[in-house]
Amino acid sequence: MKIICIIKQVPDAEARIRSTAAGIDLEGVTFVIDGMDEYGVEQALRIRESGVEAEIIAVALGPKRYEEAIRTALAMGADRAIHLETEEAFDPITQAKLLAKVVGEEAADLLLVGGKEADWDSAALGAATAEALGWPHSDWTTELELTANSAKVTHDADEGSEVLTLPLPAVITTQQGLNEPRYPTLPNIMKAKRKELKKLSLDDVGGAVSKIVILKQEIQTRERLNKIIEGDPMEAAQQLVKLLQQDKVI
Amino acid sequence: MIDFSLSDEQRQIQSLARQFAKDVIIPNAASYDREESYPAEIVAQAAELGLLNTIIPETVGGLGLGMLEEVIIAEELAYGCMGIYTILMASELGITPILLAGSKEQQERFLSPLLDGPKLAAFALSEPDNGSDAAAMKTRARFEGDEVILNGSKMWISNGGIADLNVVFASFDPEKKHQGTLAVVVEKGTPGLSHQKIHGKLGQRATYTAELIFEDVRVPAANILGEPGDGFRIAMQTLDKTRIPVAAGSVGIARRALDESVSYAAERKAFGKPINRFQAIQFKLADIKIGVETARWQTYYAAYLVDAGLPHTQASAIAKTYASDIAFDAANEAIQIHGGYGYVAEYPVEKLLRDVKLNQIYEGTNEIQRLVIARTLTD
Amino acid sequence: MILIVAEHKDGHLRKSALELVSAAKSLQAGLGGDLAGLVIGHDTQAAAGELAKLLDTVYSISDAAFSEFRAETYTAAVAQLAQEKNAKAVLISASRSGLSYSPRVALRLDAPLLEDVSSLESNGNTVTATRFSYLARVTETVQAQSLPVVISVKPNIYPVAEAAVNGSIEAVDVPLTEQDKRVQVGEKVAASSERVALEEASIVITGGRGVGGPEGFDNLIEPLADALSAGIGSTRAVVDAGWRPYGEQIGQTGKTVAPDVYFALGVSGAVQHLSGMNRSKVIVAINKDPDAPIFKVADYGVIGDVNAVVPALKDAIEAARN
Repeated sequence: MKIICIIKQVPDAEARIRSTAAGIDLEGVTFVIDGMDEYGVEQALRIRESGVEAEIIAVALGPKRYEEAIRTALAMGADRAIHLETEEAFDPITQAKLLAKVVGEEAADLLLVGGKEADWDSAALGAATAEALGWPHSDWTTELELTANSAKVTHDADEGSEVLTLPLPAVITTQQGLNEPRYPTLPNIMKAKRKELKKLSLDDVGGAVSKIVILKQEIQTRERLNKIIEGDPMEAAQQLVKLLQQDKVI
Repeated sequence: MIDFSLSDEQRQIQSLARQFAKDVIIPNAASYDREESYPAEIVAQAAELGLLNTIIPETVGGLGLGMLEEVIIAEELAYGCMGIYTILMASELGITPILLAGSKEQQERFLSPLLDGPKLAAFALSEPDNGSDAAAMKTRARFEGDEVILNGSKMWISNGGIADLNVVFASFDPEKKHQGTLAVVVEKGTPGLSHQKIHGKLGQRATYTAELIFEDVRVPAANILGEPGDGFRIAMQTLDKTRIPVAAGSVGIARRALDESVSYAAERKAFGKPINRFQAIQFKLADIKIGVETARWQTYYAAYLVDAGLPHTQASAIAKTYASDIAFDAANEAIQIHGGYGYVAEYPVEKLLRDVKLNQIYEGTNEIQRLVIARTLTD
Repeated sequence: MILIVAEHKDGHLRKSALELVSAAKSLQAGLGGDLAGLVIGHDTQAAAGELAKLLDTVYSISDAAFSEFRAETYTAAVAQLAQEKNAKAVLISASRSGLSYSPRVALRLDAPLLEDVSSLESNGNTVTATRFSYLARVTETVQAQSLPVVISVKPNIYPVAEAAVNGSIEAVDVPLTEQDKRVQVGEKVAASSERVALEEASIVITGGRGVGGPEGFDNLIEPLADALSAGIGSTRAVVDAGWRPYGEQIGQTGKTVAPDVYFALGVSGAVQHLSGMNRSKVIVAINKDPDAPIFKVADYGVIGDVNAVVPALKDAIEAARN
């Protein structure tokens, strides 16, 4: 079977981001493969290691710097990669249409997508790509089991979790708990250098115009009181309750 | 044209090492330091990821990484713990003479087995009575048939006693001084070889450091690297290279000191504002940053010379001396910035100072390095 | 027309549905047009009745095929109605299910998706919204470049709309294809059953690793949550350790909450966790480690052992009530 993993590169969760008049300043920030995408790559590898003959392709839509995240996926064990390279930013719906063209051409059986992006805080890409491909999808997936032509998953639903059975081809978006991604080992990093990384341009997939424009970005954190309440547990608790009552929140 | 950028693979290697330091080394470093115990599990994990013995060439099944890759790894791992990184560094130090002077057959015989699991090499040059003055070594080598018989002892040997192989330097003709020395590989378990772990170190307490004792240790003459007489030259050529990772480790320590100080100075308040609002603190932070950046470039430059096959004695001595000196200052100032908290083990900065002190001493003291640099100017 | 898809459970509208009505009204001020509600389910009569007290026009799709949520059946229903009624905006709650099918609706309508928004406005031609990004550290203003637009609205932000009208209910039929029904829904594992849904809770009590173990949740967190009628959350470390189910996790890979008051008990405050709760109105942290990062985002902090402070807190709350 053919498995495609969608890869994004995002600021390291611990990176300090700054906001300027022009928006978010990412200069000097360390970028990493999105942790939610790593679950996808890891899952694809585990499917192959379980004995299923599978080709694993990492596909990314994004600027040149994404190459590093793509290399990480290759170093983890993906066989080859396709980078739809553009410096333009697109909303997830537009991204889905572009990616669907790449995925469609590869005639994949399974598409693994990160459950939620750590930069745009979006959970839309998986479902939107499924719609663009005409495939079913499962999101927030914590367990995945494949049969010849279907996927049985456990995923987080509104309340609790539920089991779904989806005919293949299908889109699966990841959730923490699906697996514990491996480190790309040094030998595999070196091997990844020789793996194919195909570049596509927007023209190759027909181009696109974003449906959403970002007008403004600012780091807006609530000012917190940072009040430390002293005293023994009982005194502290009583004082805390008084404060919360004054704030009219309990 | 000068290119200051790392390749994709180098950045990947960096991020692997950084992740490993963050996930595995940092959470455990303090306890190995406190207990002065050897982190076998961490070394095993490092080996599994390919971070150990990276310079073993592809011809014998290794990765054959260059010096630049090695220093990239060094900085990241030492950021987590210099004492733990020294274990890996000392193994590369033990491998280097075999790469420099070993025959193809010796490389195959000694280095291939190191790839098989977490196995270490060690480099045994210093002695109880002499360190920098290598020509005065007292360990004796005697030839008997096709064997060499070793007697004496070697001091301050990182990985000594736990390494699978030791490159041992000995004198077979004291009158010939440098020309009377040889380098020979002694494998673990050879009869007559014993060791004594050294306790009570100031820092780098996770490294297993020992005195190696040789009592009529017989090894095949086929284990001699190069020719008898090459010993001193091999040792010096080795250290010319391997003091570059010491520099890189120092950069890692300095960067850690910086990060710890930046975050502490942002949180700690005095006179109603965070202490990073005070110029006295800002200057300290700026000075540490200046040290980190300049030391890293000198280290990379020395590594580049090695990888390009260019002369590097002076550059590596500058890198080692400068980086370990600025790292010592960085750790020292980090304690000052932390105030009383910097003086207790609850915060990681006092350990940085204890660890970095050794970087100014081992693989040639900084005084010896200055002599080496001066010699390139005056001779 | 602005179409509101109202979530409901056991014959009652969910709180998020009442919030959607407020969101739609704030959008209507600039965008114009009428408001209409949509209730989808197996038996929607009661919920549709409740919605008709809030909106003049309510569409009701009642069919056994909708007895369970499936992204594709809901997509078919909402997209079809939006097209038929020429909706300029479709509002969906940003619940797990809402986030799951709203992208599909957007694709099907070839519409922009404004995802997980916390405020909305319109100048008549476009819709502008604010939403969070970069692990909820950044607030961004985004603009849809065309109409119609599909909008998923973050729960617990808009006020609950009050009953004001006596609207009409129109039953609607949506023909579903076999393809729409291809995903089979199997066994379900409910979250903590009796408790208020996390996203809807106005008080959330979260336990971290400092709680000590699953029994810490039973002995400390549950009784406090009972006393406050609060929802229970947990951190990634707790979920990874298997002490609590994934459904309770708050943070980047879990749920995002913004209650009136958030209690972080024995929670260290990793950035991934903060992204799920840093928009709470008041944050209370109890932790024995004075250096825990959670104190930096807390309004009120108590440095102490949760085993001592939490029972005292429960007593103090009960005493204050009496």
